[in-house]
Amino acid sequence: MDKDMRLTVRSDPRFLGSIRKMVRGWLEASEIAENKAADVVLAIDEACANVIRHAYEGRCDQSLEISLHSEPEQLVFQISDHGEPCPPECAEQRPLQIPDLDDLKPGGLGVQLIYQVFDEVDFCPGKVRGNCITMRLNRKKTEE
Amino acid sequence: MSVNIEATKSGDEILIAVRGEVDLYSSPQLRTALLEAVPAAGTDVAVDLSGVEYIDSSGVATLVEGLKSARENNKGFYLVNPSAPVRQVLELARLDSIFEVKPTS
Repeated sequence: MDKDMRLTVRSDPRFLGSIRKMVRGWLEASEIAENKAADVVLAIDEACANVIRHAYEGRCDQSLEISLHSEPEQLVFQISDHGEPCPPECAEQRPLQIPDLDDLKPGGLGVQLIYQVFDEVDFCPGKVRGNCITMRLNRKKTEE
Repeated sequence: MSVNIEATKSGDEILIAVRGEVDLYSSPQLRTALLEAVPAAGTDVAVDLSGVEYIDSSGVATLVEGLKSARENNKGFYLVNPSAPVRQVLELARLDSIFEVKPTS
């Protein structure tokens, strides 16, 4: 049986809880460690929230596609949208360190959490419209 | 309702108890509660996070905003008994050390 899952969801923050439930269920079936699964759920949620906030600028009537794919060595998660392409500087990885409260700009925190959780992250903004983010998690690491 | 927030005043302190899931949908409710509590508190704002089942970066950003607002208003701000999901996200974001944490209010 195909283990993959694909969801198309409206870009409404009220559905984020349902997305998390579905991703959590899929991860349970993928037998990854519980702590790591919680981190993955968080990172997927962050990626979806970024689509709603930035690509769709808070519009709730658009759609985002989520695909969960299982490979022998990796779990592959992909989220795509049809909104505003993400500026490259917003998708950059920056070192996370104990911040100075005065300088703290939590707006980019979600992207950095995504980098923290996954082994590979690939942001692909479209030239005119849309974005696709691919996040890969090595299975071996989840056994730690 | 994905989150339940209750504020109670006890002497000079306001205790905000948060239960449920704090995400992009529900964090504005927490923001309102925190930013109302800071000027209304005599000395301290305490945020009880023992009943939080999930928190995302918008929730964490809201707590940071509450902390900043408290400092600007010369009020204390601390977290009470954060649940395991809260501690996990704060550690992942390297923000666990910026908040004062107490086991009880």
